[in-house]
Amino acid sequence: MPIEAHEARLNITWAGQNGDLPDPISYDAADGDVLQWASEAIRGGDVPGIDADPNVDLQDFVVDRFAAKDDQPNKILVRPKTPFGGRA
Amino acid sequence: MKKVTVVGVGALGSHVVQLLRNDATLKVIDHDRVEQKNTLSQFHARNSVGKSKVQALQQAVNFLWGIKIEAVPHKLVADNAKQVLGGADLILDCLDNGDARRVIQGFVRDQGVPCLHGALAADGQLGRVVWDEDFSIDDTTAGAATCEDGEHLPFIGMTASNMARAAQEFLKSGKKIGFQVYPKGASLKI
Repeated sequence: MPIEAHEARLNITWAGQNGDLPDPISYDAADGDVLQWASEAIRGGDVPGIDADPNVDLQDFVVDRFAAKDDQPNKILVRPKTPFGGRA
Repeated sequence: MKKVTVVGVGALGSHVVQLLRNDATLKVIDHDRVEQKNTLSQFHARNSVGKSKVQALQQAVNFLWGIKIEAVPHKLVADNAKQVLGGADLILDCLDNGDARRVIQGFVRDQGVPCLHGALAADGQLGRVVWDEDFSIDDTTAGAATCEDGEHLPFIGMTASNMARAAQEFLKSGKKIGFQVYPKGASLKI
């Protein structure tokens, strides 16, 4: 499905798995709405690449937005926090 | 060769340094010392335990490949940022705390220096390699733990490889590519 200028591809990372929601969402959607849609999609097994999970919890997840550039459409990424890099 | 400064030479940075050794003149900054547990997930050997991480890495890189790197065994703070980060063509943020990341972000945005950030989620669920213009800093979540037993070493290596690849591409062509890295082996170009 083509993505309009006001829309975005929603990419989700959960439990080490990753996938795109088949349908685009509004690029200006509120973070809370994005997390809610992502949760519902994972719960229902609607994200190709991510196993359905009735216990999905995205409460502490981050919503990142990347404006369209080159041939890439707007993207919204839902992901866990990544505070680490150095210390082990 | 261009000058690349790597800030933080723990889990990510120690591997990035050895992967970028052929592509740039390297400077490494870290105030930490090598602990026994670090040898499970970082490019630091048992005979380096107790040594400064940057000096241990400097010695290792020189011993293994005859390559000289500059070592700065100091903590990066706002007061010394210009002194230790100045002169770099590219800065690689491989840190583990939001405060120090903010010092880097403030410096690179003020000075217009290209900066690539590397970041890992707790439990090895996600690695991120993101250019500063798209990078948001995540502070540590209470109770979250990173790799202390070496379990995530291959995943840390994958993320470090993607970071080195993005840096290499920038040094070669000026093109900025970023990645999200997943433990099952796939990387998403962003």
